Amino acid sequence: MKSISLYVDKGTLLNRIAPESKIMYIITAITVPALLGNRLAGAGFIVLSVLLLLSGKVLRKTIPLLSVSGFVLLTVLIIQGMFRAGNTVPLFSIGPVIFYREGTSFAMSIVINVINILLSFCVLILTTKPSDMIENFIRRGFSPRFGYVFISVFQIIPQMTETMSTIADAQRSRGMETEGNLWVRIKAFIPLISPVIMSSLINTKERALALEVRGFNSKHKKTFLNDERKTSADPYLQIILLIGILATIGWRVFVWLA
Amino acid sequence: MKSKLWSFKFNTVTLVLIPAAIGINYLGKLFAGVLKLPLWLDSIGTVLAAVLAGPIVGAICGAANNIIYGLTMDPISTVYALTNLGIGIVAGILAYKGFMKNIKGAIITALVVGLVAVVISTPLNIILWEGTTGNVWGDALYAWAIAHNLPVWLSSFLDELVVDLPDKIAVVVIVFLICKGLPKSLISLYQRDEKIENLD
Repeated sequence: MKSISLYVDKGTLLNRIAPESKIMYIITAITVPALLGNRLAGAGFIVLSVLLLLSGKVLRKTIPLLSVSGFVLLTVLIIQGMFRAGNTVPLFSIGPVIFYREGTSFAMSIVINVINILLSFCVLILTTKPSDMIENFIRRGFSPRFGYVFISVFQIIPQMTETMSTIADAQRSRGMETEGNLWVRIKAFIPLISPVIMSSLINTKERALALEVRGFNSKHKKTFLNDERKTSADPYLQIILLIGILATIGWRVFVWLA
Repeated sequence: MKSKLWSFKFNTVTLVLIPAAIGINYLGKLFAGVLKLPLWLDSIGTVLAAVLAGPIVGAICGAANNIIYGLTMDPISTVYALTNLGIGIVAGILAYKGFMKNIKGAIITALVVGLVAVVISTPLNIILWEGTTGNVWGDALYAWAIAHNLPVWLSSFLDELVVDLPDKIAVVVIVFLICKGLPKSLISLYQRDEKIENLD
């Protein structure tokens, strides 16, 4: 079964350090440039994320994640470059289309901001197994029942995708058209989705029974199947990142007061 | 007997409904892609869970859905967890008030849900993208609007409205049709009645 997570275990340092440290890194990479209000800070964090991803041997894996937002970034660049209010100084032109300096520069800060967010998230999601991360949250006091909810999503989605292809084949063999004009395709949606929904709702009943039989609602302290992911460097990393954020907040407050 | 609107009691069946709803959201988006429909249809599960099990479960489904997407495929979608949370709450409240009983009520629900989604998404779009959505039609309207010197928030609102409202109408109508066809024994699983009647 194909997993929806893009995580791969390459045995690198990034794989070994605690998910919490990587989450702290995301928070730092987003808040510090926002507080400084400086594009260079954002660009700096992009470079840092790229270096981290290189060290984790997962830089190539960021391409599908970047391409999801790449299209939107392109439209931002086109629309702000051409139409932003206050555009006066032409930068360059392609045929009859003129891109202005103000709009393009403004769009570039959006692009830097978004790519920074994307890459810092990549540092976490490409190197961390989702269930490891959730188990760590449960160790910190997150409800184990909700932890189960999150972990089971990663098992249910591949299962449902399989059911979906079975149903699509079954309905096609009964003569349903899935190609053609818009109306034909809209009509195909309901007979495709409703059997999956029905079967998954019926499954919830069975799953609930199976869980309750195995002591899902038990109030006793639960044990963990896997060992905790952490290294001795983690506490220091987290403290350094926290100091970084606090220092920037302090600087911001100082600038406001001055 | 009416069940409580803001019931906080999670029995196992309602908890298990949450991952199923997230799966349904995912499949809706997948099917819409396979059939090349011009809509997202990625909140069917959230609305369905809200209708079946109330606003709190709907809200959790919506938020958890986007957080999980964010942690696997599309980090930016984490930000829109707020939008889906709003959709879950509103759909849950309206369904509780009995709006999902007939098609007229379902359309009203769809309009309200769509409007809530637009109102929550617009500020997020402005913060993140200065107002565009990445949808060709919506962005063309946005470009036209700011070229005519409309304020950014209004252009962005229109952009999101054109994209989101038809999508939410389709989603709520699909959920309405599916709920019509669900067997009673399944619906009663999720109802939050606290009183159990005994026959002996």
